[in-house]
Amino acid sequence: MMLLWENMKLAFSAIRINKMRSFLTMLGIIIGIAAVISIVSIGDTMRGVIADQFAGIGVNRVDVYLQSDDDTYDDSDLFSGDDIDKIRDTFGSNIEYLSGASNQKAVLIRNRTSENVIFNPVREGYTKVQPVDVVQGRMIDGKDNDGEKKNVVLEEKTAMKLFKTTNIVGRKIKVSYDSSSGSEVSEFSIVGVYRNSQTPLGKLLSGGSTEKAYIPESLVFNSDSEAFDLDMFVSPDANAQQFEKIFTGYVARLKNKNISNVVYYTAKSDMQSIDSIMSKLSAAVGAIAAISLLVGGIGIMNIMLVSVTERTREIGIRKALGARTIDILVQFLTESAIISAAGGVIGTSIGVGVVMIGGAVFGIRVIVNPITVIVAVCFSAAVGIFFGMFPARKAAKADPITALRYE
Amino acid sequence: MREIIRITNLEKVYDTGSVQVKALKGINFLVNEGEYVAIMGQSGSGKSTLMNILGCLDRPTSGTYLLDGEDVSSYSDDKLSWLRNKKIGFVFQSFNLISRTSSIKNVELPMIYAKVPATQRRKKAQELLEKVGLSQRMDHMPNELSGGQRQRVAIARALANDPPLILADEPTGNLDTASSVEIMELFTKLNNEGATVIIVTHEDDIAQFTKRIIRFRDGEIISDSEVKKS
Ligand SMILES: Nc1ncnc2c1ncn2[C@@H]1O[C@H](COP(=O)(O)OP(=O)(O)O)[C@@H](O)[C@H]1O
Ligand SMILES: [Mg+2]
Repeated sequence: MMLLWENMKLAFSAIRINKMRSFLTMLGIIIGIAAVISIVSIGDTMRGVIADQFAGIGVNRVDVYLQSDDDTYDDSDLFSGDDIDKIRDTFGSNIEYLSGASNQKAVLIRNRTSENVIFNPVREGYTKVQPVDVVQGRMIDGKDNDGEKKNVVLEEKTAMKLFKTTNIVGRKIKVSYDSSSGSEVSEFSIVGVYRNSQTPLGKLLSGGSTEKAYIPESLVFNSDSEAFDLDMFVSPDANAQQFEKIFTGYVARLKNKNISNVVYYTAKSDMQSIDSIMSKLSAAVGAIAAISLLVGGIGIMNIMLVSVTERTREIGIRKALGARTIDILVQFLTESAIISAAGGVIGTSIGVGVVMIGGAVFGIRVIVNPITVIVAVCFSAAVGIFFGMFPARKAAKADPITALRYE
Repeated sequence: MREIIRITNLEKVYDTGSVQVKALKGINFLVNEGEYVAIMGQSGSGKSTLMNILGCLDRPTSGTYLLDGEDVSSYSDDKLSWLRNKKIGFVFQSFNLISRTSSIKNVELPMIYAKVPATQRRKKAQELLEKVGLSQRMDHMPNELSGGQRQRVAIARALANDPPLILADEPTGNLDTASSVEIMELFTKLNNEGATVIIVTHEDDIAQFTKRIIRFRDGEIISDSEVKKS
């Protein structure tokens, strides 16, 4: 295999002699590979972002509500505080967290400034199912709920907008919201400040950029309240499929409905379908980008044919001095493989670079699959060998006397 | 005395569609080891055709060619490549050096195909370039050399694998008189060292360097005689 090394040296010197031409030949491959790598990586990254998003919602989170067959609904489709207590008693530790209260809009007022926020009513144990990064003070707890305390935990940004500081634990703020007894304006005590570590893109995907504030659930939801849906976190220890079956059966009996009227919605199934759409999409766009590799390959074939013709005399000399057909074939194949593999390496660097820079700009964790890179480079070398085959065979078959006479 | 070349009833017909050109019309001759032969004749008399067959670059239409005892008339392309590499040193009128490739790399070329290891190859190429008087021109490109120097690189390259037979088709055809004399002196030296040398020329002055002259006319040998040294 000494000849292989000789051939590689030869190929490099041929590429060096025709620098500009070699680069232009590589360009097709460079663009093709850069496109494939960046498109596939963007697809992988988006899937990663969406997975993170759903992890943020909670993989064990279930939204339960009742839906009649004719799409109308009445009071029997709502859950009472009583219903919720029964469910809690029945399922015990299989349910980590259960709340009937839904998020609502609220307005925070300080002096002449006001801020719209989303009130997220929480019970004790909420942080076990949804981590909250508290940076000042504390999170809403059981005592706040038991005492129906008008306490609130604000997001850092809300604090900065209203107070120009996050050091606000213990201070008061006026709030306009809907309590369990109707719309009212009251004074709340700030007991904590938390940080939202979502990326800008993540926020966009989670719908709107209104900041959240946590308040005790008991302020907006008590045993007299009625809930349209249940926000529930199933224990990760429970068998999800089995739990769903038992749970929907129980709710149907409790509410005197058919099992088919109990909607048990998890983010998981949505995530799976989005994931499959995304992977199909990136495969399809990747395939289109792969066509540019084909075009790049044809470019290589074209240039190699020109090169073979130009070097007819060299081929004749080599044959006259003892080169066999296979030696010439390998020489030209090596050259086209190196040109396209080099194009592949450059294209990969550009593709990865573009994705990395994009990721840095949008603050996204970029996913570049090493297998994508390996496949892309191997594929480009294969393109070079495939499209180099015809010109190389043409060179190898040359008759030495005819080739030597070539002017 | 060992036979290097034995040719019997050698014919070569070029079939160019409409016309058939009989370039060689039944040639017979013998060349022994250590001979120094000139092949002479007018342009188009078949000298190059014969040299190409002797150099295993081409096959005869009929007849046999024994090279160093082997009948090579019907060898495959790859077998002929191997023979050219090992047994024949070919020198051309137009030098046929590979452009943009240094003298030493050109000389190394036949050794690459003979799979000689790199260091050994380089050493041999240096020795050969010294032998032809080009030790100062090893890294020069062909276009940086004079015609005579290029032909000397080509001769060094022909000697790379120590072939028993050296063939030169009008090696002085593109050279001035002074360079031609230098090149012929080099062939004479090689012959004195034991190499079998066959040279095609149409100049009497050049033929006078050799020891035997074979004359061609229209694809036939018309005379074969020893050179009388004056
Ligand atoms: N490849 C070829 N195809 C057809 N005719 C050829 C070819 N090569 C040589 N000939 C013819 O064969 C004859 C001998 O040519 P050649 O051996 O080159 O002569 P020389 O070398 O003595 O000048 C000429 O008539 C020439 O035209
Ligand atoms: Mg001739």
